[in-house]
Amino acid sequence: MIRAFLVALFLCPLCALLGVFVTSRRMSFFGETIAHGAIGGVALGLFFGLATPTPAVILFSFAVAAALLWLKENTELATDTIMALLLSGSISFGMILLNRMQGDFRGDIHRILFGDILAVGGQDVAIAGLLFLGVSVFVFTHLSPLTLISAQEDMAHVCGIRVRRLNYLFVLALTLTVAVSVRLVGILLVTPMLVIPAASARNLSRNLHQQIILSLMIAVVSGLSGVALAYHLSSPCGPAVVLTCVGLFLLTLCCRPLLRMSRS
Amino acid sequence: MAETVGLNLAFNGQSVLRDVSLKLPAQKVIALIGPNGSGKTTLLRCLLGLQAPDSGNIRLFGGIPLKKALPRIGYVPQKLQLDRDFILSVREFLALRLRATRHWFWMKRGALDERLAEAMAELGCESLLDRPVARLSGGQLQRVLIAFSLLQEPELLLLDEPTAGVDSPGEHTFYELISEVHARHKMSVVLVSHDLSMVYKHAHHVYALNGTICCHGTPEEVMNAESLKEAYGIGVSPYHHHHHAH
Repeated sequence: MIRAFLVALFLCPLCALLGVFVTSRRMSFFGETIAHGAIGGVALGLFFGLATPTPAVILFSFAVAAALLWLKENTELATDTIMALLLSGSISFGMILLNRMQGDFRGDIHRILFGDILAVGGQDVAIAGLLFLGVSVFVFTHLSPLTLISAQEDMAHVCGIRVRRLNYLFVLALTLTVAVSVRLVGILLVTPMLVIPAASARNLSRNLHQQIILSLMIAVVSGLSGVALAYHLSSPCGPAVVLTCVGLFLLTLCCRPLLRMSRS
Repeated sequence: MAETVGLNLAFNGQSVLRDVSLKLPAQKVIALIGPNGSGKTTLLRCLLGLQAPDSGNIRLFGGIPLKKALPRIGYVPQKLQLDRDFILSVREFLALRLRATRHWFWMKRGALDERLAEAMAELGCESLLDRPVARLSGGQLQRVLIAFSLLQEPELLLLDEPTAGVDSPGEHTFYELISEVHARHKMSVVLVSHDLSMVYKHAHHVYALNGTICCHGTPEEVMNAESLKEAYGIGVSPYHHHHHAH
């Protein structure tokens, strides 16, 4: 249980922090593509008999992200088309591989889809902790350049920012976070974890500074209360965390008119 | 200040710039005119290092490397790529331009606020400081973008069709503002523009581009029916009403 809380405490705010930039840069579908790629990673992990699928998921997600960037830069295909191609390709690859292996993997697939934070091991907590540290340091030390490339990449270039390099680093951070978070909330619910805290915070914020702080707070509250809810109801963790998040979103939506009235 | 020698560039076999050579004089307002697709924005992107030419040379500030030249250049694009959901305030946006405020997220804002308010007051829009950038009108956004560029005291200011999203009266006010800013800061200003009457009134030097430089000189020299026909391919009137000497 403590491990579950720790993983939620590390990963939920991380998703929220990246989510502020994911939403502003319209990259939600990118998160979705990487998350679905995890099915291929899990299948490979099981195929090679790994104790925990996380390393295989991370590697497979990197392969999907690299393919996405390569296709985007070297073909004239629309980004949406590339993502749809990789998303469906990853799922199909994973499902065929699982199907060809001996044994019953229905339980595994359920856990992949909806998350199984209550079964996390010490290694998962360590990976989540290291990821939290690395990605937070990266985002907070590059907050200005990240914000500027979200606003206008050409202006960022003129301001001396190495735009391409920073874009790659952001994609790397996002891919890692999504791949590791699949263990927490499941493939189907990673994108909501990126998007909903940022959207909830947006309802109450007047500037980016406020939005970042509120997103982090909302993510921590929904992560911890979601895990507690899942534990007490013996339900999958992902839906419990996301449902709490949606509840907080509705609350912020209701508070919005009140806040506007008090400001005017 | 900045010059190009024999720039050539083609996209997918289609020539966009052909042997483009120009020299931007220091401390002048220079207009770059030409029809749609004539390569004006591409030329600006080449100057900024955003697009590498196939051949030819670009020399900025006497030939210093691009990395050292960029801090001396201000760039105002046509628009930002901001989603309406992105709640970046004007104050935060402007802070991104200052090296000293790289870590604006953690900073105490007192001294910074004063500097940003001054920058906005110069352009007559200090009331916009706490507005989200994504919700500004075309004219307001252009003023904020110019304030952003001026924070670094550039020696060369490049504006890419700055009045594209601005209504007609706003356009007039905008060009007046550019003239004032130029007079105050004594920098070179390069304006990509469609509006020939405004160019006639406010520019010191005009380059007419249509893939190649068709003609250049003072507005009086360039903006006659013959030169414009060469640049635009059809008869165009400069329509220079209310002309005042510089």
